[in-house]
Amino acid sequence: MIRVLRLVVVGVRTHVSYMSRSPIEITFAVLVPLVYATLAVHLFRAAGDPDRLLTASVGAGLMGIWGSVLFGSGGAVQNQRWLGTLETLVVAPTPLALVLLPVTLATAVIGTYAMGATVLWGVLLFGVPLDFAHPLLFLLAVPVCVLALGMTGLLLAATFVLLRNANALANPLDTPVWLLSGLLVPITVLPAWTHPLSWALPTTWGARAVHAATSGGPGAGEVLVPLLAAVALGSGYALAAVLVLGRVERRARAAATLALA
Amino acid sequence: MFRFLGSARLLLIGGALSYRALFNWTTPPMFIGTLLVGPLLQVFFFVYLGRELGVADDRFHLVGNAVLAASASCVYGGTMAVANERRYGTLGAVLLSPRHRVPLWAGRALPYVLNGLLISAFVLAAAATVLDLPVPPGAVPGLGLVLLLGAVACSAFGLALGALGLRFRDVFLVSNVASSTLLLLTGAAVPRETLPEWMRTAGELLPLTHAADAARRLTAGDGLDAGLLAAELLVGAGYAVLAVTLLALFERGSRRRATLDVM
Repeated sequence: MIRVLRLVVVGVRTHVSYMSRSPIEITFAVLVPLVYATLAVHLFRAAGDPDRLLTASVGAGLMGIWGSVLFGSGGAVQNQRWLGTLETLVVAPTPLALVLLPVTLATAVIGTYAMGATVLWGVLLFGVPLDFAHPLLFLLAVPVCVLALGMTGLLLAATFVLLRNANALANPLDTPVWLLSGLLVPITVLPAWTHPLSWALPTTWGARAVHAATSGGPGAGEVLVPLLAAVALGSGYALAAVLVLGRVERRARAAATLALA
Repeated sequence: MFRFLGSARLLLIGGALSYRALFNWTTPPMFIGTLLVGPLLQVFFFVYLGRELGVADDRFHLVGNAVLAASASCVYGGTMAVANERRYGTLGAVLLSPRHRVPLWAGRALPYVLNGLLISAFVLAAAATVLDLPVPPGAVPGLGLVLLLGAVACSAFGLALGALGLRFRDVFLVSNVASSTLLLLTGAAVPRETLPEWMRTAGELLPLTHAADAARRLTAGDGLDAGLLAAELLVGAGYAVLAVTLLALFERGSRRRATLDVM
């Protein structure tokens, strides 16, 4: 257990350092979310809803985290394939899922740059007051939400082992998850048939927890309950990823198609 | 006469060949997922956001985002048309050609114009059908013209960004930010009258801003606005001149410093 934990911690640290030195990762993680934060703040202002400007900034940050997980996890396997290191990772004695988990967690950690940037952007440029309903729970909700999203990313990465062009799946998945998870728009405004899809996404519960910590009521349960749901769903996705990865790995070894991009 | 035919051949056949060569890795699922489904889902995101906030009606967000959908092909495509030549090591061969640079680079942009037009038309038609927002049949020819002009202007913008690929290493960083900025400043997602003055002015100088306004007027049954069309054309022409100038400038610079293939 200690070895697994050490592997994850060292892996996350390595990949966060690696991604933090990539201009394109930083662009995705900081500049693009800032554009969305600006857009959200102007829309909320135009709607005459100045009380929710912090919600808009936080929502844009969550959008950035999801974007980072989606494209980072999708690219995780593809990058290893292009670099020629996928085979080495697969033949390592450590299970492939445990090798990929730090990568997907790192993409979510990089996504927190987006949250920091959008909140700071709102404060400095638009004078949004940092008036969190539950400041401490917010500091808890964000990393737990990141953890849940990182685990979801593992399932995405596992799926992308199967697909040669992972981007074909990743590119259109950006906005529907923003929409279905209620990152900016409450899911109650969506058609009823979409609600089960929303409930199945860890992003929905993570976003609910973060939004409740930002502008929710006085009860801590409003934050903690959805947070637990996000972790439970994320764990379920991670378990599914382990099963998928095992199957894909066996097939790829048997057919000798692992490196075929 | 022969010179004109030669230039037309370079423009059409050269453009088609380069498109096939640079995008041989693209598969139908990738085209459908990235260029058709992605922008369509973006329309729904902004329509529902607009409904929740009540800033603008469905038509505003639907038409604005449908026009903006062309940018997915035009901005990234225009950038890749130049930058990928350098990345794949074929730029030297292209620039050894004695042919005039204007038809050579314009040919590169042509496939993205057609792609952009196709994407915008698809997104507009599909979103209007799903959201039950009919487009007046009389507005269709005008809409075709507006979408075409928007795609032309946006491709010229993409080519101008791509020119930076001759000078800078990671031009996709620029195209990613530019693409997001178009969403904010062209008024596709947020009414421009709610933006500060400097952002409105910046929007006037970007492609798709006037095309989105013209398309909204058309779908509302107000007819074709020649002023908006002319403004979109002017913006496109400006970026086309900028693209050709930057390409010539950076080509000369990279020849002089022998840095054409340096990544």
